[in-house]
Amino acid sequence: MNPLVAVITSQEPQVRDQSLDGLCAGASLEDLLAHCAALDQFRRSSENLYERVRALFFLYAIHRFRIPRVIAAAGRGLIPFSAYSNLLRRRYQESIDALQAAQRTQGPSASLSSALAAAYRGMAFQTLADQVRRSVRSVRGNQWMFRTGHPADYALRIRPELLRRADGDALFPILREATPVRMDLTHSGWSDIFFLGMDYPEGARVLNVSIDLAVRGSGAAGPRPPVEAYFRVIDEPVLRLTSVDLNATADITSVAKLFDFARDYLGLLKAAVIASGLVPSGMEGGSRPLSELLHRLIGIPAHGIEIVSKVNDIPKGSRLAVSTSLLSCLIAVCMRATRQIHALTGEVEEEDRRLIAARAILGEWLGGSGGGWQDSGGVWPGIKLIHGVRAEEGDPEYGISRGCLLPRHRIFTADEVTPEVRRRLQESLVLVHGGMAQDVGPILEMVTEKYLLRSEAEWAGRRQAVRILDEVVDQLRRGDIRAIGASTQRNFDGPIQTIIPWAGNFYTELLIRKTRQAMDPDFYGFWMLGGMSGGGMGFLFSPGRKAEGQERMAEIMSSAKRQIERAVPFAIEPVVYDFAINESGTLASFSEGGDALLPPAYYALMAPRLLRAEVRLLSPGRRAELARFSAACRQHPQFAGAVQVLFDHLLPQEHVEEKSRGPSLDALLEEYGFDRAQHERIQADLRAGRIGLAQNRLRAASEISDVPAEMLFDARCELPRRYRDLGRQALADGGVAVVSLAGGIGTRWTKGAGVVKALNPFCCLGGRQRSFVEVHLAKSLRVGRAAGTLLPHVFTTSYLTHDAIAAHLEAATNYGYPGPLLLSPGCAIGLRMIPMERDLRFAWEEMVQQVLDEQAQKVREGLRAALIAWAHQAGEGSDYRDNLPLQCLHPVGHWYELPNLMRSGVLARLIELRPKLRHLLVHNIDTVGADVDAGLLGYHIEQGAAMTAEVIERHVEDRGGGLALVDGRVRLVEGMALPDEAIESRLSCYNSATYWIDIDRMLQVFGLSRGDLADAAKVAAAVNTLAARMPTYVTLKDVKKRWGKGQEDVFPVTQFEKLWGDMTALPEWDCRFALVPRVRGQQLKEPAQLDGWLRDGSAAFVEKLCAWDRAAQGTAGQG
Amino acid sequence: MKIEKAVITAASRTQRDLPLQTLIDRDGVSKSVLRILVEQVLLAHIEEVCLVVWPGDEVRYAGALEKVAGHVRFVCQDQPRGYGHAVWCAREFLHGETFLHLVSDHLYVNADGTAPAAELLDVARSEECSVSAVQITREGLLPYFGAVGGHRMAGAQGLYRIDTVLEKPTPTEAERKLSIAGLRSGYYLCFFGMHVFTPAIIDALDKQVAAAGDRAVSLSAAQADLAREQQYLALETRHRRYDIGARYGLLTAQLALGMHGPDRAEILAQLVELLANQQSAAAAGDSRR
Repeated sequence: MNPLVAVITSQEPQVRDQSLDGLCAGASLEDLLAHCAALDQFRRSSENLYERVRALFFLYAIHRFRIPRVIAAAGRGLIPFSAYSNLLRRRYQESIDALQAAQRTQGPSASLSSALAAAYRGMAFQTLADQVRRSVRSVRGNQWMFRTGHPADYALRIRPELLRRADGDALFPILREATPVRMDLTHSGWSDIFFLGMDYPEGARVLNVSIDLAVRGSGAAGPRPPVEAYFRVIDEPVLRLTSVDLNATADITSVAKLFDFARDYLGLLKAAVIASGLVPSGMEGGSRPLSELLHRLIGIPAHGIEIVSKVNDIPKGSRLAVSTSLLSCLIAVCMRATRQIHALTGEVEEEDRRLIAARAILGEWLGGSGGGWQDSGGVWPGIKLIHGVRAEEGDPEYGISRGCLLPRHRIFTADEVTPEVRRRLQESLVLVHGGMAQDVGPILEMVTEKYLLRSEAEWAGRRQAVRILDEVVDQLRRGDIRAIGASTQRNFDGPIQTIIPWAGNFYTELLIRKTRQAMDPDFYGFWMLGGMSGGGMGFLFSPGRKAEGQERMAEIMSSAKRQIERAVPFAIEPVVYDFAINESGTLASFSEGGDALLPPAYYALMAPRLLRAEVRLLSPGRRAELARFSAACRQHPQFAGAVQVLFDHLLPQEHVEEKSRGPSLDALLEEYGFDRAQHERIQADLRAGRIGLAQNRLRAASEISDVPAEMLFDARCELPRRYRDLGRQALADGGVAVVSLAGGIGTRWTKGAGVVKALNPFCCLGGRQRSFVEVHLAKSLRVGRAAGTLLPHVFTTSYLTHDAIAAHLEAATNYGYPGPLLLSPGCAIGLRMIPMERDLRFAWEEMVQQVLDEQAQKVREGLRAALIAWAHQAGEGSDYRDNLPLQCLHPVGHWYELPNLMRSGVLARLIELRPKLRHLLVHNIDTVGADVDAGLLGYHIEQGAAMTAEVIERHVEDRGGGLALVDGRVRLVEGMALPDEAIESRLSCYNSATYWIDIDRMLQVFGLSRGDLADAAKVAAAVNTLAARMPTYVTLKDVKKRWGKGQEDVFPVTQFEKLWGDMTALPEWDCRFALVPRVRGQQLKEPAQLDGWLRDGSAAFVEKLCAWDRAAQGTAGQG
Repeated sequence: MKIEKAVITAASRTQRDLPLQTLIDRDGVSKSVLRILVEQVLLAHIEEVCLVVWPGDEVRYAGALEKVAGHVRFVCQDQPRGYGHAVWCAREFLHGETFLHLVSDHLYVNADGTAPAAELLDVARSEECSVSAVQITREGLLPYFGAVGGHRMAGAQGLYRIDTVLEKPTPTEAERKLSIAGLRSGYYLCFFGMHVFTPAIIDALDKQVAAAGDRAVSLSAAQADLAREQQYLALETRHRRYDIGARYGLLTAQLALGMHGPDRAEILAQLVELLANQQSAAAAGDSRR
């Protein structure tokens, strides 16, 4: 038996828990390929879920991390298009088969391994997701919902109490559910992810506390359950869903609308309605009207249900599982109303709590989201240990996985954790929301992956986390809060960041450091909540200083945010909470008659709509509603001020807040030299269909093929000495400068949040978190110091990034960089436009793209339909203005960056500083491996070309064009310009966007000389002339619009750009192309890449290029 | 085991008129529902029947019973305290004996014309325990019936040992507590409205009545107690029952009786004529348009 298969199938922990790294240490390519063959055969035949999944992760890891290290740096692999498109369509098996066939004919390559790694990884996660879905569906009490497909089969009925009305009362009683949220006291290395619990139930444990909250300083009377749900019968045959905190309401009349989760902001309520069985899943796709089902449910014709949700001022991203708690709360109220939960009011029984938790998992799957199994912990009271359970005979999971889907909850009694200890814990802990915007999804995937690979350090970290949990349980029993603080801090510093380095970040480190400075020795420790730090967090203080701690935390977070908010995405202003342990869990109350009131915010939302309608058109219930609200305003203290709020909703308000945010959009356009004539021309072309995504493409008759090896300089091996000598000489002479393109905001890096990517502290290198700017300067420092002449370094900026980068470098005293450091401000700006429907459809329907998991894909399709409707409503092709002014603007592509060097005078200044300057190394801000390599510089000089462009061997994730032979000319082609997407798979080299440029040859192409650089008018005319010859691409970008309490919407917007790579198409522009190692040329486009980048040796490669000693001196900008 | 008594409950405030409705029985004679029921009981060799009624209904009911009135004794339920309480009201009549129990708003029809309760009584006598008739029912009908959970008795066709009894369970609850191995998923054993109870049911009802105060007393809760304390069986019946309180229930019950009697051909002919007239009227309407 293959040794890796033996590890997977072993029942002995000491065998099974071996790391893949250890097992593959020293393996040759042949050994690794033999392992892959055995593992692939094994995973195809194994019936056991766990074995299949672990084999898939082993295959992924061998292809992703091991084979690229041992494969010879020769040849270039080609990923078949069928394999690529099947990968995107989640047809993993077909993709793998095609890739294996390619590997047999082409031989192994890093390219093919990258695609195989992606396919195996995708298949592993798909297998897990399918299993969780099957398990959720097979939970007893959930199965019937998938069978019920017709109202005639529908078996739920409303409780009679909810239909009881006093004579003459048009309104029905109200059932209200209030649920605490949960915090996890020990974290335990994300052990609440479903797969871990199902595979390693012994290690899946968390200490989970139900809590009430209030945002400090919000005027709230004190902590209360953060989420509420209301349920009542209404006299209209609709399902009325209302979210008062999201200001959204909808009357749902058809089953299809209910299953359209992305149509509005009511997706969570819809998921709860379905998961509670009120409208069972089996109804999806049915043709019967919803009113028929409502009639059966209520027993009275022409009546419906209203469900209202409310989150009590808790901002999004709190890491306290607010969404899951709200989902559970909504499910609980619906299940009580339909007698699926026995108790109409008060607490719920244990078996009912478990049922709510199972339904919440189903609801999360329906809504396309996902949480951990502890997230519905707020349904249970107080402090509890939640732990995995081994699957026994009779469990649906038995024989499929080692553990059950649902964990067990053991509530600590007052004897185990005394009321006094609970009080002291409350008096020590300061809970906060740091305000950072985060995406936890990739982290949970990493946890699963690392668990299955059992990498040594991470596995040791996991075991340590399990021990820390035991320690904390013991400390709780003893009431030693100081020790708890020390344990949670140790947990964060040790196991958590060992398992996932990205759980920590610069902001959190800054907060901990400043808190320690301010409160030592009474700061006991930091406590990470949820998937990662930066959002919801805890700080433990000596009980006597909690109030001061709260004050100080507010100040520290606020000042830290101001310091780094252009570098790190923040969703909200940081907040401090007051909290209390909730000893009841979810709790319901029932009110009828005059007391049956919904929250005041509900009436503020609904009353204006009712008041605008004619009274005769309102149902008796609606009329009674207004009367009851009116009476409540006079009698109920809770409704004091409701009239004023109502007026604010009724009458137009001046947007004071927006005014205070800075200059208006028009002022910014004016300031940045917006070219309105050009904009209107582009707008007219866009609307007329002359330009657009489809028109970006080259004519279909173009002959496009891969570049033969002889037309490419292979620089992946050590370069000849003569090149290095030539390069070193140029460096010593001051013949080179570096230009880092930092005008963009990295849309994909923060999903359109609009922070300056160049300043984002993205990784811990050289002992601390470093930004892209700092890394590039550290590389220039090392090269310049070795050459004896410091390199001039330029960062090109744009209206979006200039002020932030300038201020940052000043505060950081240029990170101690001793050489010339210049900023080249952008001189062009664009105004984003509402997209055309045809472009949206082209992007979403015509182009090959990643298909999501079944339910998430359904949600995405619903969202896309809604966005197309939005584009129509907002006016296709019109200016995009409905956002913060800076979010409405866009940089116009990096083609302009080099001309800007001429226009801004920076090139002239460089020449003044270094009269022998001949060459520029230009690279993107996220190409962190690019440096002034003497060998490559020497090659470029010897060739005497205008430009040498660096390319890398294409991996599966490298999409967007590449190097091609187009109608006989070697050139870079943008992905957007390829007439057919399949062509890209035939191009083996990907553009790394790193260029060596001969300054004089460049000036020559522009029709300029060094002497002309002082003539601004001549330079501007030359730039405009050449710009007109460059193609203009229309692109779609995602832009975030923030609103409410940390809520975010993402809109697609149209913008245009010109790209430097197209210079290679100019006949007079003489180019060479060098194939460089991937570690040098790869770009970091998404944070999800970082973990692989760190593990595959790329980060270590970059560290070797850097000199941190001087650069580390200037840290003022970030601390 | 001696079973000579039967209890029929007819005191429900909303359904008191149902047993008085007149139908043509399978023998072609026009009778009240109540009389048909009592005749079916007598056919099963039960001698004494107790009819639990709302005070003041005795005279009307006695009239409806006609020639079988002599076998019936009336007991009044003078408080609207539910089904369980109605059965409990018959305790003095029962005198500690095992008894057959039926509800008055259901009609039972069997193909062979024998007593519908005969098989149930045979099982109760042979097993010496309480037995309820049940039918396999799809989950969409759960809101209308009590249902049982349990397991099949080895070697006995259609016989189950009851573990749990729930009144009108939700499908959620049914799936968790009433699933029975061997039954198709989504199908449950629901009561047929016909039971043989040992005196232990009255003991269980005593407790329920004491605990309920002024609230309604559920028979299901007492049945659940019974299942916990002694053997309690469910017999899957081949017969049909018709809820005459349901929409078109009386009509359906009449059709069922008629189809098993001498007038079967006449009824079928009338139905066919009805359909044909409807079709031709629809066709005429189409041609005019």
